[in-house]
Amino acid sequence: MSETVVKLTDVWKIFGARADEAMAAVKSEGIGKPEVLERFQCVVGVQGATFDVPRGEIFCIMGLSGSGKSTLVRHVNRLIEPTAGKIEIMGQDVSAISENELRRIRAQQIGMVFQHMALMPHRSVRDNVAYPLEIRKVSKSKRWAVSDHALGLVDLTGYEDRLPKELSGGMQQRVGIARALASDPEILLMDEPFSALDPLIRLQLQDQFKALVAQLKKTTLFITHDLDEAIRIGHRIAIMKDGVIVQIGTPEDIVMNPADEYVREFVQGISKLKLVKAHSIMEPLEKATGSLDGAPRADHGADLDQLIDLAVTTEQPVVITDGGTDVGIVTKPRLLRGIQGGKDD
Amino acid sequence: MTDTATELKVTAASDIEVDRDALDNSIREFAEVNGDYYIGAFHKIHDATGFLPNTFNLWAAVLGPLWAASRAIWGMFWTFLILEVIAWVQIGRGWWGNPGADMSERAARQSARAQELLDKAAAATEQADVDRFTKLANNIQAAADKSMVQAEAAQAEAFGIMMTGFLLLLIFKLVQGLYADRVYEKQYSNWRIDPANTESGRSQSNTVMGAILAAAIGPLIVYKFTVNSSMALLDEFPEEGASALFLGEGNGTLFSRLANWMEARIDAAAAAGGDFFDGIVYGVRVVLDTLTVALNGSPWPVVMLVIAVTAWRAAGPRVAIFTCAAMAYTALLGYWEVAMETVALVGASVILCVVIGIPLGIWFGKSRRAYKAAEPVLDLMQTLPAFVYLIPIIAFFGTGNPPGILATIIFGMPPVIRLTALGMRGVPESIKEAAVAFGASKWQLLKDVEIPLALPSIMTGVNQTILMCLSMVVIISLIGGGGLGKEILEALQYAAKGPGLLGGFAILFLAMVMDRIVQGAFRREDQKD
Repeated sequence: MSETVVKLTDVWKIFGARADEAMAAVKSEGIGKPEVLERFQCVVGVQGATFDVPRGEIFCIMGLSGSGKSTLVRHVNRLIEPTAGKIEIMGQDVSAISENELRRIRAQQIGMVFQHMALMPHRSVRDNVAYPLEIRKVSKSKRWAVSDHALGLVDLTGYEDRLPKELSGGMQQRVGIARALASDPEILLMDEPFSALDPLIRLQLQDQFKALVAQLKKTTLFITHDLDEAIRIGHRIAIMKDGVIVQIGTPEDIVMNPADEYVREFVQGISKLKLVKAHSIMEPLEKATGSLDGAPRADHGADLDQLIDLAVTTEQPVVITDGGTDVGIVTKPRLLRGIQGGKDD
Repeated sequence: MTDTATELKVTAASDIEVDRDALDNSIREFAEVNGDYYIGAFHKIHDATGFLPNTFNLWAAVLGPLWAASRAIWGMFWTFLILEVIAWVQIGRGWWGNPGADMSERAARQSARAQELLDKAAAATEQADVDRFTKLANNIQAAADKSMVQAEAAQAEAFGIMMTGFLLLLIFKLVQGLYADRVYEKQYSNWRIDPANTESGRSQSNTVMGAILAAAIGPLIVYKFTVNSSMALLDEFPEEGASALFLGEGNGTLFSRLANWMEARIDAAAAAGGDFFDGIVYGVRVVLDTLTVALNGSPWPVVMLVIAVTAWRAAGPRVAIFTCAAMAYTALLGYWEVAMETVALVGASVILCVVIGIPLGIWFGKSRRAYKAAEPVLDLMQTLPAFVYLIPIIAFFGTGNPPGILATIIFGMPPVIRLTALGMRGVPESIKEAAVAFGASKWQLLKDVEIPLALPSIMTGVNQTILMCLSMVVIISLIGGGGLGKEILEALQYAAKGPGLLGGFAILFLAMVMDRIVQGAFRREDQKD
């Protein structure tokens, strides 16, 4: 996690005929979304989005429908032009480049997966996957080889010559993922890829996807309206509301320290078992009342689930270690509070 | 959020009280004048469970259409204005009209003639003449009496007609009285949904407008139908008088002036753009000649074989057999050459339609503004009867096959344009977006995504264009087009039933074969998908 691959700086998107005027008014007078609508009949899609995504990270953007998350992600490959702000991909400012250069970047460095698959119904699965290469005028033999390899990555070997409509929804979305991977891009943009699938398939694909991305080390922007999915997949999560990024943080951050009421309401129902780590609920060693000899020991990165497994075997608190030295303890009351979401006693 | 939920009381449907106050205020606001009456009436209507009306609006009954106009219920106004005028016409016919007038006039004429003959008989000297005239006079007098009786009978009917009129009027008034409140209540419901665009209350201007319309329509119609010799002014539009009024006496009519002017314009335009129009004709002729050479220049067995094999490959063995039978019919009856000429005409028209129409359709599919501008033109091309534009085509392009093809194109091109545009607009945005996201250029997007996905729609358009061209290719024989149409036109001119029917069948078979082959080809295309 070193080099920044995607960097957005104060990106704004205002839709409407008088977007530029509205933007100027926003900049100079600081007017809000309702005023822009009233004065300029323009809709604010994204308000001042700023974030960096380092190489290899899965960055989830979570928000309800209409929160501007799909709009935001389309700025990265300039399917939507920003009204203001700067977008950099691997240090290159994409808003300044020519049409041809933009097409080259889209074809080589950015793969995209869509909610409704968006496969071409008249092409075979193989030709669908090969399409990004076809655009770059790669030879057919090379195209087919790459396409078959990509289909292998998503476990679809044997379906190359089928038409998309012959495949189930989950399989179609895997074709979509294979297509995004075919040109071996640096960045993956996932626009609610699993939202239209049924829950069981969704779970499977989430795991498969996570493993695949970890293996291929792709930098990923993952859009979802499902916080569970964001937590399951994302290294970091940005929560959007009405075009504003309300909070950016690791899943644990977001669940344990919601930035405002809106986020708090969201995370209420989320299970903390896999999210909360020992170091965020442990107490100092001095608080231990009895002897800690023979007490179970766990690393400070262990999650609540693992702590519970240890705690049920003994009456003593669990001792938390960091590199072999004891750094704190987790008592049972503390553990139970942690499951509730870190409420203080 | 939870507060309102707890406050909500659950009430059984039978215990729910109707909140009359809110409703009453709303009705009063709607009715503006006489609110209390309508509150009562609407309540009765709302409470009614049966089908029959249970209110009677006296003013609607008495004033009839005027009441409807004053309340801006224009549908009711027009319906009952017409119905009441019909009733009044009956009353007028019975009251002051003279239904037996024709007959009594005839009786008078016959009596006069009989009297004349009697005078002649009296003046005659020879007995034979006296007898002859007397006999004739008696016969005519008898006829006169008969006419008189008929006239009286008709006169007697007049009373019946008048009573029918009164009865009708009474019924219409009753119906209006009974249904006025119901209709008005409908208007009220509409007003609640869309208060901005539904008229409410009673307005002076509407009443005046209704009165003017009724005054303009009623008396004139009643006059025209009840008085036997009506004014000439009412029977025919006085276009000559109007022309004289605009242009002055003896300067021709508006029609002749305008026609002459247009003729001069068209001649001037045809002369000015002569080279341009000749160029178009030349281009069309090249396409047509190429096809004619292929179809009529090649030996007939070759052409037949190619057509039969095409039918088989494209649409299967059954269509191939039908095609062979149809070809045998045309060849055996000596229509082969003209039939091939027709095929060449249709072929040239369709090729030009497709070559021009598909790019236009793609453009219209992409640009909403262009499509909006083109839509009225397309409508015009399809709705204009062919006879209307044959004349300008002769003026600009002359007569013969190439101008005929141009006329065919005008008629046949709209479907392929429309359906191409429709297909283009039907391509899912998500698929287009995906292609763009993977770096497709505009041309790649068109070639790889839009055209393939719009193809079924485009093909339907081409099929329709083929059939429309075929129907038009018969009509162009009127401006010197050849082929089977010419055969039929000749048969028509001599009212030759046999040749006309045989030629008609030849065209029918041609159309069926073309349709089958094209449809079969498209269906196979579909199955591949």
